[in-house]
Amino acid sequence: MAKTLQERRAERQLMIVLLPSLLLLFAFVIYPAIYSVYLSFTNEALTGAAARAPRFVGLRNYTRLFNDAKFWNALFVTFIFVLGSAIIGQFVLGLVSAIALRRRLVFRTLFSSIILLPNAAPEVVAGFMWISMLAGGDHATLSRIVSFFGLPTADWLQVFPLSMIIVVNTWRGIATAMILLTAGLSTIPQEIYEAARMDGATPAQMFRRITVPLMMPTILLYMLISTVSTIAVFGLVYALTRGGPGGATELISIYIYNQSFTAYQLGYGAAVAVIALLVSLVLGIAYVRAAKVEI
Amino acid sequence: MSAAPPGESANRLRGDLMAYASLSLISIFCAIPFFWLLVGSLDGNAQLFLRWPETWTFANYLRVFAKEDGAKWLFNSLFVVGSATFLVMVLSGLGGYALSRTRAWWKLPFLYAILLIRVLPSTALIVPLYKFLLTLNNAEGALLRPIFGSTTRDIMRWTGFIDGYLGLILVLATMQLPLSLWIMKTFFDGLPRDYEEAALMDGATMLQRIRRVLIPLALPGLAASGLFAFMAAWGDFLLPLILLSSPELQTLPIGLFRAFLRINEIDYGLLTALAFIYLVPAVVAFGFARRFLVQTFSGGVKG
Repeated sequence: MAKTLQERRAERQLMIVLLPSLLLLFAFVIYPAIYSVYLSFTNEALTGAAARAPRFVGLRNYTRLFNDAKFWNALFVTFIFVLGSAIIGQFVLGLVSAIALRRRLVFRTLFSSIILLPNAAPEVVAGFMWISMLAGGDHATLSRIVSFFGLPTADWLQVFPLSMIIVVNTWRGIATAMILLTAGLSTIPQEIYEAARMDGATPAQMFRRITVPLMMPTILLYMLISTVSTIAVFGLVYALTRGGPGGATELISIYIYNQSFTAYQLGYGAAVAVIALLVSLVLGIAYVRAAKVEI
Repeated sequence: MSAAPPGESANRLRGDLMAYASLSLISIFCAIPFFWLLVGSLDGNAQLFLRWPETWTFANYLRVFAKEDGAKWLFNSLFVVGSATFLVMVLSGLGGYALSRTRAWWKLPFLYAILLIRVLPSTALIVPLYKFLLTLNNAEGALLRPIFGSTTRDIMRWTGFIDGYLGLILVLATMQLPLSLWIMKTFFDGLPRDYEEAALMDGATMLQRIRRVLIPLALPGLAASGLFAFMAAWGDFLLPLILLSSPELQTLPIGLFRAFLRINEIDYGLLTALAFIYLVPAVVAFGFARRFLVQTFSGGVKG
């Protein structure tokens, strides 16, 4: 069917009102993403001779990267960080909160508001609050809590740096998991539980046989979303440890920042960034497919 | 309904108790770090660690504005984040409308593209973005310097791409666009076309349709889109850290961060007060945004 003149004019107007968004996204996201691939093949630097006349160096940045123990360390730290905070910590506490909040409890709104609070705190503020919790030896709030229970204290950020940033990021993200999993739980029909109860199923059995299988799509989605967003975490950990001590909390995002803006190696930083972009993109495609996004 | 068997109510009670216990523990975990901010900011002699103040005072809050550049940082943050939020609302309102109504071939590719853009970590984009903005900035400087001479720097403070308001506003807005476009597109999908078609029949132009029909109808969607843009831009630390260097342009997160780095002369009372001032708008916005939260995990999961 041929389009009428009026329809064609309407389509053109729609394109025009979308254009500014398209331009901004292209200029500040898509072009930089492509440009980072180009940069990763050069010896571009922020200062010095390489800054004035960057040269094409082929795959040298990538061969350097694969032989760079600090890069592998950053990948490993990021992996443990994602696994510990997003996949385990936030998920378990978020699921417990979501299930508990389905009951008609007296302080329901109060509980859920408090659990949402860490998510609202800006990264830098969250980082500083946790410095007070963890730094300062015996005076740190955590030290005082554990010594109240008669347990030994430590200089938490020095002795258990990676575990501590996992705790902090778990704290920050319980709300995200709780919200998504609550939405997932609400799609399970109550009749199934009723029927199981009639058959004498215990709560543990119902959780394993009904809740978990029916929640699987939501859980998978949550895992993908939280993994992608946890890979991008920067300010929270940077404000807390700046990657230290000795690279123990140097996430891939912090490694990129340090290489690019502390060591001024833009080309090398771009190579690391390309790896991070690729990993995120693969997870993102998996997410779009798994979510069966309706457009 | 028949009476519950005796075991049933005991079971329910035990379940409720377990729920109370676990929620209490999780809530304590979530709330504890905030106490230091609250108590420290009112303590005349605040320390790095949590302590009960000997004297309660508002002096810390006054000092933020009197002694430090707190007022300037607050203004910069409000100005930059406010402008970015406004820009996002305008662009996502228009763009979301177009994405909802168009039948053109680029609709699907564009929507998939903005979903994927959302997953790209901004730390991975920051290096090329910085280089690109630097190029734009130098070009702008070269263009303006012959005309304005020595006042160029004053103008560039507003319109520069590096170390200027404009660059930070544009980049902050762009980073929030994918989510906001998605929110607005979904919102317009839920609005019947009847109103516009009626307006179209009456011979209304595009602009009239937008102003008289679409903006009033779209206000709830725009509120959600603006709230999320505000929260993300307000909390962002990386972009102002990289894009701004002049002290007079610093925003709250950077002012806070730099104040904390002065190792031996940290004024914890001032710092906690500053952090609290920075925290409040975020919490307020979050409170308003609560009912929209589920929808942000766009697609698959329905809100």
